[in-house]
Amino acid sequence: MSNTLRPYLAAVRSTLTAALCLENFSSQVAERHNNPEVEARLSSSEVVVNPLTISRNKQEKVLIEPSVNSIRVSIKIKQADEIERILCHKFTRFMMIRAENFIILRRKPIIVIDFIIQFMEEVDKEISEMKLSLNTRARTVAESYLLQFT
Amino acid sequence: MILLDNHNVVIEETLTQPIVNNNPTAFDVKVVDFDGVSCHLSTLESNSVIRFSLSMLCYKELVQWGAQDMLQREYGPYCVSDTEEGYDFTLEFNLQNLPKDKEQREELVNKLAMIKRDLLAQPFERAFEQQAKFEDEKQTNPHSELMQIHYRDQEAFYIQAQLDRVTVIFSTLFKEDTDKIFGKVFLQEFVDARRRPNIQNAPQVLYSSKEPPLEIRHLSELQKTNKNEEIGYVTFVLFPRHFTRGDVREKTISQIQLFRDYLHYHIKCSKAYMHSRMRARVQAFLKVLNRAKPELPNVEKKTITGKTIVRT
Repeated sequence: MSNTLRPYLAAVRSTLTAALCLENFSSQVAERHNNPEVEARLSSSEVVVNPLTISRNKQEKVLIEPSVNSIRVSIKIKQADEIERILCHKFTRFMMIRAENFIILRRKPIIVIDFIIQFMEEVDKEISEMKLSLNTRARTVAESYLLQFT
Repeated sequence: MILLDNHNVVIEETLTQPIVNNNPTAFDVKVVDFDGVSCHLSTLESNSVIRFSLSMLCYKELVQWGAQDMLQREYGPYCVSDTEEGYDFTLEFNLQNLPKDKEQREELVNKLAMIKRDLLAQPFERAFEQQAKFEDEKQTNPHSELMQIHYRDQEAFYIQAQLDRVTVIFSTLFKEDTDKIFGKVFLQEFVDARRRPNIQNAPQVLYSSKEPPLEIRHLSELQKTNKNEEIGYVTFVLFPRHFTRGDVREKTISQIQLFRDYLHYHIKCSKAYMHSRMRARVQAFLKVLNRAKPELPNVEKKTITGKTIVRT
C-alpha cells in the first residue's frame, strides 16, 4: 500500500465510523413515512448534516453525505487515461446493473465500513490489473502474428 | 488458440464424406465465413452431384484481379455457367467423375476449404508479380495500380506494388468506444512489436487513426468519410523477402488477409475476459458484504392459537 493510500483510507474509515450513527427517524413532512433523509430532502436541513469530501488527490476522492437516518457515500475512482476510463466505466456499470444484489440497508455498520474500504482498495487494483492484462494480451497477439512472417 | 485458421472447417467436414470417401449422402448446408462470405453446399436430385456456390461482397472486384482465371485454372472442369441465384459463382462436382486417386480427392477438398483465401489471394499475387517486374531491370516498369478490395460494408483493403516493396493498407472500423480504445492498444503493440530482436524481420506495421495514409488519400470515397474518427488505417510494408515464391509467399498472403479478423477476434476475446473477471470480482465483493448480515434472532414464536412460526 502506498504512502498516501493508508492515511486516505484511514480518514475514510474514521469518517464513516462517525457518520454511521444512524437511527430510525420518521418523516417530519408526511405522516407514517420513513424516508432516507439524505435522498428525500423533504424536511428542513437540521436532519441533514454538512457533506464531507475526503480527497487523496485530484482524481480520487470520497464524498460522504450523512443525515439522521441515512448516509450516502460516493467514490471517485482514479482514471488516468483512456483505457482506465473505459475499464472504470465498464466496471461501475457492471456493478450498477447488479445493484439489487448489493443490499447495504440494515447491515452491521462495522462490516459495511470494511466493505467500503475493501472496495476502494480493490477497485483500483482490479482496474490496473485489467489494463495490464489487456496490454499483455495485445503484445502476445501482435508478436505471434508477426512471428509468422519471419 | 491465438492464431486463426485460414481454411473453413465446416466445408472440409461436409465434403470429406461424399468426395474423399465417395459416399454420396444428401445434404443442404449454408456455411458462412469471415467478412460476409457465405457458401451453399447442396446435393442435386441424385445425390451424386454436389453443388458448391459462394457469394462474397468483393467478388466483382476480385474478378478484375484474376479471380475468374484462378477458378478456371483450379476448378476448370467443375465450373458451370448457370450460377445459383444469390451467389457469385457455382461449381458442380459429379461424384462419378472425380479423380480416381484418393489423395487427389483429399487435395480437392482441402482446396475447396481454402477457396475464400485463394480468391482473396489474387490481388496479392498480382501485386507481387508487378513488384518482381520493378526489380527486373530488363523489363519496363509496369504502371503500379492501386487495387481496392471492398471486402466488407464499410471496410476495405488496398494493395499497391512499389519500386522496392508492396504496401497493403487496411481500413478498419470500430463501432464501439471500447473497441476503438482496445483497438488502439492492440495496434500500438503491432507497431512496437518490431523492436524486439526476434521479430525484426517481420513486415513493418504503421497505424494512423484519422488521416488515411498518403497512398490512398486521393481516393474520393475516403475524403467523404475523412472526418470519421472510428476508422483506423493499418499499413503493412512487405519487402521481397516476405514474398519469396513458395511457402513464404503463401503464408504471408494467408496471414495478411486474416489481419482484420484476427484483430477483432482478439478485441472481443479481451472483452469477454474482462467480463468474466468483473463477474468474479463482484462475487467477491458480495461475499464481503454478506458478512454484514445481522443474525436473525432465533426465538420460537407462537400465534395465539398455539401454532409455531418458523423463520426461514
